[in-house]
Amino acid sequence: MTITDDLRALEAEALAAVEAAATLDELEAARIGYLGKKGSLTAVLRGLGGLTADERPIVGKVSNEVRQALEGALESKRARLEGTARASRIAAEAVDVTLPGRHHPVGRQHVLHQVVDEIVEIFSGLGYRIAQGPEVELDYYNFTALNHPPDHPARALQDTFYVKDLSGDRAAVEGESDVLLRTHTSPAQVHVMEAQKPPIYVIVPGKVYRRDVADPSHLPQFTQVEGLVVDEGITFGDLKGTLEHFVREMFGPDRRVRLRPHFFPFTEPSAEVDVSCGICGGSGCRSCGGEGWLEILGCGMVDPNVFGHVGIDTEKYTGFAFGMGAERIAGLKYGVPDLRHFIEGDTRFLHQF
Amino acid sequence: MRVSLKWLADLVDITLPVEELCDRLDMTGTKVEAVHTLGEALDGVVVGRVLTREQHPDADKLSYCSVDIGAAEPLKIVCGATNFAAGDKVPVACVGATLPGGMTIKRAKLRGLESQGMMCSATELEVGGDGSGLLILPDDAPVGVPFAQYYGLADTVLELEVTPNRPDCLSMVGVAREVAAVTHVDYRVPSGTPEESGTPVGDLVSVEIADGQLCPRYTARAIRGVTVGPSPAWLAERVAACGTRPVNNVVDVTNYIMYELGQPLHAFDMGTIAQCDEKKAIIVRPAGEGETIRTLDGQDRPLASDAILITDPSGPIALAGVMGGETTEVSDATTDILLEAACFDPASISRTSRRLGLISESSLRFERGVDPDLAARAADRAAMLIAEVAGGTVAPGIVDVYPGKRPPAHLPLRVGRTNEILGTSLTREEMSALLAPLGLGVTPVGDDLDVTVPAFRPDLEREIDLVEEVARLYGLENIPSSRPGGRGRIGGRTPAQRFEVRVGATLRAAGLDEHIGYAFGDRADLERLTWDLASDEQLVELINPMSEEQSVLRWTLAPSLLRAVSHNRRRGVSDVHLYEMGTVFITADGRKQPKERLMVSGALAGAWNAPGWNEQARQLDFFDGKGVLETLFETTHAGRWSVRASDRPWLQPGRSAEVIVGGDVVGWLGEVAPHVLDNYELTGPVVLFEVSVPALVKAASRESISYRDIPRYPAYALDVALVVDEAVTAERVTAALRSAGGALLESVHLFDVYRDPQGTPEAQRRLPEGMKSLAFSLEYRTADRTLSEADVRPVHDKLIRKVCGAVGAEVRA
Repeated sequence: MTITDDLRALEAEALAAVEAAATLDELEAARIGYLGKKGSLTAVLRGLGGLTADERPIVGKVSNEVRQALEGALESKRARLEGTARASRIAAEAVDVTLPGRHHPVGRQHVLHQVVDEIVEIFSGLGYRIAQGPEVELDYYNFTALNHPPDHPARALQDTFYVKDLSGDRAAVEGESDVLLRTHTSPAQVHVMEAQKPPIYVIVPGKVYRRDVADPSHLPQFTQVEGLVVDEGITFGDLKGTLEHFVREMFGPDRRVRLRPHFFPFTEPSAEVDVSCGICGGSGCRSCGGEGWLEILGCGMVDPNVFGHVGIDTEKYTGFAFGMGAERIAGLKYGVPDLRHFIEGDTRFLHQF
Repeated sequence: MRVSLKWLADLVDITLPVEELCDRLDMTGTKVEAVHTLGEALDGVVVGRVLTREQHPDADKLSYCSVDIGAAEPLKIVCGATNFAAGDKVPVACVGATLPGGMTIKRAKLRGLESQGMMCSATELEVGGDGSGLLILPDDAPVGVPFAQYYGLADTVLELEVTPNRPDCLSMVGVAREVAAVTHVDYRVPSGTPEESGTPVGDLVSVEIADGQLCPRYTARAIRGVTVGPSPAWLAERVAACGTRPVNNVVDVTNYIMYELGQPLHAFDMGTIAQCDEKKAIIVRPAGEGETIRTLDGQDRPLASDAILITDPSGPIALAGVMGGETTEVSDATTDILLEAACFDPASISRTSRRLGLISESSLRFERGVDPDLAARAADRAAMLIAEVAGGTVAPGIVDVYPGKRPPAHLPLRVGRTNEILGTSLTREEMSALLAPLGLGVTPVGDDLDVTVPAFRPDLEREIDLVEEVARLYGLENIPSSRPGGRGRIGGRTPAQRFEVRVGATLRAAGLDEHIGYAFGDRADLERLTWDLASDEQLVELINPMSEEQSVLRWTLAPSLLRAVSHNRRRGVSDVHLYEMGTVFITADGRKQPKERLMVSGALAGAWNAPGWNEQARQLDFFDGKGVLETLFETTHAGRWSVRASDRPWLQPGRSAEVIVGGDVVGWLGEVAPHVLDNYELTGPVVLFEVSVPALVKAASRESISYRDIPRYPAYALDVALVVDEAVTAERVTAALRSAGGALLESVHLFDVYRDPQGTPEAQRRLPEGMKSLAFSLEYRTADRTLSEADVRPVHDKLIRKVCGAVGAEVRA
């Protein structure tokens, strides 16, 4: 046996061992067994020093071939084993993707405020600012300056909440009061017109109060959004076009709008605004009471008497105002059958919107 | 206002189908709220005659009747009404009939006796009138005839919403005029003068008005020798169609004329009125101090001094415009009638009727304004009809005292201005053609119009009122739509409003749902929360609350959230995370209006999530609430903030803190105290916080955000555990580390707090008694190179020595 034969034999043995390795660990053991510091091939190669000068190139060449063959085999085997290991790891890690994900608690905005925000966004886009006013108002702002006659029934104790006046003036002593919970957001109109000169383009969202017992269709507290525009050359047509734009943005482009003449003390001409029923499209169904139309807001041209209270020149300026209930709009949009849901804080209700 | 189309057709040609007529009325400002088709719903209801009425043997409140409906056998009917007797004619719903309310009549046993039908009230048949008893029909009603046919119910009744500015539409003639104007046809005003004979009324009756403001006009007529009795069917039907129960022929005529023309009338039993100078003397005057009147319902009514009284020399005989007096009421024995047609001050009638809770068809019309020109015409026609249905003779003439007579008002209408307001381009002639059919006198003056306003339109006082008439008759649908041009306007939210939006968004991102609660509060919440108001604070009290629970305005959002948590818990929802942003109210002596402050408040109860297949449900506690506030302050850049242990009586001691921004207390945070949880029927822990929004806005406005370089070199981190006394707060140690840190120390992160568990035996204790260990990770970094241990270690060692000295800490081995 020549040393070359030894090398070839060792090669065959080593390649078989590599082939037989079933795991990366066994493969590594094989590598160390042949190519490690104390490996059998290494030992052979170390013995090359005793060869003659003639033998050395031949044996050197063979031993290199053997080493390369072995290293190549090791590498390809490693790649194969690694591939298998990854595949089995991947197989082991497979999940049932239909299992629920980890819950990330994110809160919901109250549906009424979603509606209010939507209204505010639409009118912001039309160049309106947002104004606010006190919820505890004076009779003057809530009624008088809005052209309600002194005996207007809305002033009655049975309709409006009055607040105890602690100022110590005569009225308070007599148990009467001209301090009240605003019954609409309209008093904010007066505050705005007192505070600023035209042009005025504002929207006023806020809580309002009326003496109603809470039931499916009434709440003693609800949410209104008021709009006011005062500028030169404002027409009823401007009011109409503005509200038509609003309704299409709010309810969808296919909904129709109609204005019906109505009466409000602080606007003239006044109108109520109906939107075509979203269920039947205007032909009349249960949800619109057979009318085909749903009333959603009141509006009109600002009454000259209101301008008189705030010193705006009625010949120079005209204006319009409108007001709507967020509960009403949310109720229509989402079919909420009972207004009390809006105020109870039941999270199963809040999470629906 | 209920409008019978059958009646209306007498006054105006109805040229449109009902549905189109309703649309037209809707679109010109008279909303049709409902359309009732009478008659068709009453199949199976016939006229019956009660033959016998016996007490039900087993029920005190029921009777057992035998009723002839023209069939071979009378029906046996059990009835709960009491206002009838054998011999009365009544409507009877036979088995199988379905009433307008949806009820189907079935054969039924009531307390053991079979009932083969039902005798009906006016309400059950929806024919208008009283529901307190059976509808008793006149004696001449033919038994067995379908009720609808007998009652003339093949009619359509429109229910109109009449706005407060249109008193003229509270009459059939007014509605006819409106229908005529909006459908371009003519209408007819019924009139009539009675045949007169005998002594002139001026020799029988005198009228004196003490105050022409309170009573601008009073007319009287006399009809003598009448026979009071039931009305003929046509009269009873028409009155009933308007929703009033027929009473007798005289009273029914007064109601008929009120519905027809809009003039409320009153009929006195003339024989009961006291005389002066041999005439029945009517004096119209304001009530005296402490005066009372017994109204025809038998009640004594105390009067305020602005009530208007009709009196005779013996005292009050009627409460003007509201209700008649008992002593002069028309009865079956009455033979002579004094008929009043008058006009009274709307405000006074409104106050009197509301104060006494007596709101009648008459008072409703007077408080909106009755045309004073109408009185004499209405009196003439009523006298004629009374003589027609009740016999008697009408005394010649009318006593007419009319101190408030005014010439018709003239209003200018500028054509150009009208178009400017409406956005239209109508001509003078077009406007004129729209207005004239309303009964307005329209005369061109130059480019514009002069409009004469009849007295039946008291709402037309200004040019703008005419502009509105032009708009509604032209049709709002015909006004071209446009949008304001409006240069110089700026839209959008203010910085403070944008901040509020961000607060909401942040709290939702932190997992809280938004709640909106009542602004009302309950004074008892002071006790439930054990909340002490400051000595200069008072709750805002409502004068007329709906209930004790809503009798004040809330001064904190806490009860609103606690109630919402409790509401959820009672319905089986255990994990509740809510926030509310809302106004709270507090007042003080000397204040007219309260202070209103916007607060944001949150409540956390249960866990963030229900236990899942791969996650635990962790009970929320103080630190979840604090975490929410940390998120809120960081995200909104609402400034440097801190909390300080501070007891609030409604929070659990040791788990409550106040929130401090810039040295000011701006809110509080903590777990709700056990006794408070009991008061709201809750189990804890429930975490609550409340922070003033304006305080956050202010803090955020001072905060300027500026860019910092992103580090290019790695940090060098060293951990240290410091053993300190329990009393030393984490914040104090952290602050000491920060302040002693020098330029290289970048961040201090507390990652562990260790205490020996309670009851650890001495031998196993790892810390001295009363001490805790706080473990920090300190990161050192400099901007221009990578730090080595040699750079950091000396600095770190020096820092720790300094901090140990400052807070009495030892480094834990």
